[in-house]
Amino acid sequence: MISLSIDPSKHATATTATKSYGWWRHRSLTSTARSNVAVGLPLARRGEGVGGSGGKTLASLLMVATTLLLGTANAQDITALLKDADHFRMSADNLQVETQVTVFNTDGSQDKERRYTVFAQSERKSLVLMQSPVEKGQKVLMLGDDFWLLMPGSQRPLRITPMQKLLGDASTGDIATMNWAGDYSGQIVGEEACQPEGKTTCLHLSLQAQRKGVTYQRIELWIGKARHEPVRADLFVQSDKLAKQARYVMDKPSNPTTVTEMVLVDQLSNKKETRIRYLSRKERTVPPEWLNPMFLARNPALE
Amino acid sequence: MGTFLLRLPNPVLVCALVLLGTTPLAARADDPNLDGTVRLYRIGRTVGDTGPLAQANALQPRTAGVDGSVAGAQVELRTSASVSAVQVHASATLQTQQTQGSASETQSRFNEAYVAGQAMGWQWSAGKKVVSWDVGYAFRPNDMVQQEVRRTLASEALQGRALLMAEHFDADTAWSVVWVNPTQERAGTGAQEAAVAARLYQHHGALDWHAFARHGEHTATSLGAAASWVASDALELHASVRAYRHMDTLASGVTGAAPSTADPWHATLSGAGQQVLVGGTWTSESQVSLLVEAWHDDTALTDRQWRDWTARNQALPTWLPKGVAAAAVAGNLAWQGKAFGVSNSLRQDNLFVRLSWQNDRWLTALDVLYTPADQGTVTTASIVWSGERFKLEAGLRAHGGPGDAVLRQLPVQRQGYAVVTWAF
Repeated sequence: MISLSIDPSKHATATTATKSYGWWRHRSLTSTARSNVAVGLPLARRGEGVGGSGGKTLASLLMVATTLLLGTANAQDITALLKDADHFRMSADNLQVETQVTVFNTDGSQDKERRYTVFAQSERKSLVLMQSPVEKGQKVLMLGDDFWLLMPGSQRPLRITPMQKLLGDASTGDIATMNWAGDYSGQIVGEEACQPEGKTTCLHLSLQAQRKGVTYQRIELWIGKARHEPVRADLFVQSDKLAKQARYVMDKPSNPTTVTEMVLVDQLSNKKETRIRYLSRKERTVPPEWLNPMFLARNPALE
Repeated sequence: MGTFLLRLPNPVLVCALVLLGTTPLAARADDPNLDGTVRLYRIGRTVGDTGPLAQANALQPRTAGVDGSVAGAQVELRTSASVSAVQVHASATLQTQQTQGSASETQSRFNEAYVAGQAMGWQWSAGKKVVSWDVGYAFRPNDMVQQEVRRTLASEALQGRALLMAEHFDADTAWSVVWVNPTQERAGTGAQEAAVAARLYQHHGALDWHAFARHGEHTATSLGAAASWVASDALELHASVRAYRHMDTLASGVTGAAPSTADPWHATLSGAGQQVLVGGTWTSESQVSLLVEAWHDDTALTDRQWRDWTARNQALPTWLPKGVAAAAVAGNLAWQGKAFGVSNSLRQDNLFVRLSWQNDRWLTALDVLYTPADQGTVTTASIVWSGERFKLEAGLRAHGGPGDAVLRQLPVQRQGYAVVTWAF
C-alpha cells in the first residue's frame, strides 16, 4: 500500500508521510487520509495548484484513489491489530470463561464480589449466567446488537436495550464482550507512553464503534508495540463522556500470552475500582438452542 | 389447591429438598446443588373508610374479611440435578405468618417440581413449573399459562402450574406447546382450567414476535400476538393483543337496590372480548428508566356495570330505616366487594407509569396506576438495596382519586412493607 507512486510534495498528508519513523507511522498517516474520506473533505481540491488544468484532474483522481486505497489498508491494519489484541482475551472462537468481578470503594475496601459464567461464542454471541447468591438465576443473552435478560424467578426472557445492559460497575458488556475487531474501526494515533507517567511506549489506537449495540461508543486503546497486547483503555459512552478507564493485567508482563485481569475505574460517578478476573478459560461451543432467547427460561446442565 | 401443591409436613418437605440437593441421586446425578433464600417480611395495611366493605363492617363489625397487617418468615429452597439426560428441578417454600388479630399459620408448598429432558430435537418438561409469557410489565394478556398477578407489593416466588410441555428451538425461532393442568377437574377456572396453550416466537433483528393460542376446556379458544421492538439504544416499545371467545368471570344476578337473601355473585363465562396493551421503556446512560404502559381489558367490568354497582352501594343502606336488619344490609354490602375480584384489571382502561433509577446497589422507583374513567390512582414508592447476600426492600402504596373512584373503594387504602432477604 505504501509503494504506490505519488509525489509527496503534492499532497499535504503524503508530505508528512515522508517523515516516517517506523511502520506504525505510515499507518497513522494513512488513517488521516481515511478520516478525510470519512468526513467527506473535498479531496480533489487539495490537488489544485500543483499542476496544469489537464493534469489537475488526473492528479485529483490519483489522490482520491490513493486515499481510498490507503484508507482501506489502514482499516485492514487496524483490524489486524485489534484481532491481535483480542487474542489475549479471547484465545478461541468459542469459550467458557469463569469470571470474578470485585468492586472496591475509593478507600480500597471491598464493596462487592460477583461470579459469572460467560459463554463467549463466535459471531458476537454471548450468554452470561450470574452465579453469586444474590443474583443467582439471572441470565443475559447477547446476540450481536440484540440483548435479553432473564430475572431470577420470572421465567420470562425480557428484551432489553443497549442502555439497560450498562447496569452495574462492570456492565454486562464489560464481562461478556471480549472482542474489539468487528465492533470497532479507527486509526492509529501514534506512539505514546503506555502509562501517563511511564517510559514504555505503546501504540495508541482511537476506535469508533461500528455497531449500535456496543457498550462503548468510543475507545482510546493503548496496545503493546511488539505483541499488541492490550495495556489500557479509555472507554466513552454514547454521549462521549468518559465512563471508565481500563487497565489490562497480563499473565507474564515480559512475555504476555493472556489477560488475567481487567481493572476498571469508574469516571462517571462513584470512582470505584472494578477488577474483572478471568479465573478460567476453556474452549466450549454451546448448543445452538442455548443462544435462542426463549431458551433462557430453561435450565440446561452446564456440563 | 392444585394436585401438585403437596401438603407435606414441613420437616418432610425440607428433608426431601435437601436430599435431592445433596444426595447425588443414587450416585448418578451430575453437579447437584442446593441454594435458596430466607425472607423476613412485614406488611402494614391501613383499612379505608370508604367502599362497600368499610360500610359493611361499620354496620356490622367483621362482616367482611379485610386483609390485615402481616409479618412472616419464608424459607425458599431450590435444587437441581441431572441424572443421565434427565434434569430434576424443585423449589419449595416454608412459610410462617402472623396476621394481625389471628393466630400464626405455617404452610409449605412446592413452587416448582419437574423433570426435563430432550428427545428428537424437542425439549420437554413435566411437573409443576413456572411458564411466563408475554411482553408487558404491568399487564400481560398473553400470559396464558402462569396468569401471574402483576403489580404485587413485594416480589415473591411464583407458584408454577402443573403441566406437560414440549419446546423446539432453533437459532431464531421457538415453539412451545403446553398442556396445563392435565389432571385438573373440569370445574377448574382461571389459571386452574385444563387447557392446551401454544406459543411461536420469532427473533427478527431488533424485533421479537410472539404468536399465542390457547384452548381451554370451557373457555374455548383465544388467540394472541405480541411484539417487542428495540427502537434505539435507549428505547424499547412493546405491544400485546389477545382475542378470546370466553373468559372465566364473576357476574351478579341482582340489579337494582333491593337486598338479596343470597350471594348474588356467581362464577360464569363471559362473552367474546379483547385485551390490548401498548407500552415502552426508555433508559438513560445514568440508568434512569421510564416505563409507560396503557391497556384495555374487556374482562374488567364495564363503566355501566360500575355505575350500577356504585348505585347499589349507595341504595343498600337506605333499607335500614325501612326495617331491614343491619346484618342483612351489611351482608349485601360485603357481597358487593366481590366485584373487585372479577378481573385483574378493575377498570377496562388503564395507564401505568413507572420511573426508576438504578444507582450502584440502590434501586428506587415510583409508579402510578391511573384509571381515566374515574381518575383513581394507585401510587407506589419503593427502594431496594442489594448487598452480597442481603437484599432490603421497602415501599409505600397509597390509593388516590375522587371518593367514588373504584380504586378508592378497595378495603385497603394504604400499605407499607419491608422485606429482608438473605440468599445462600
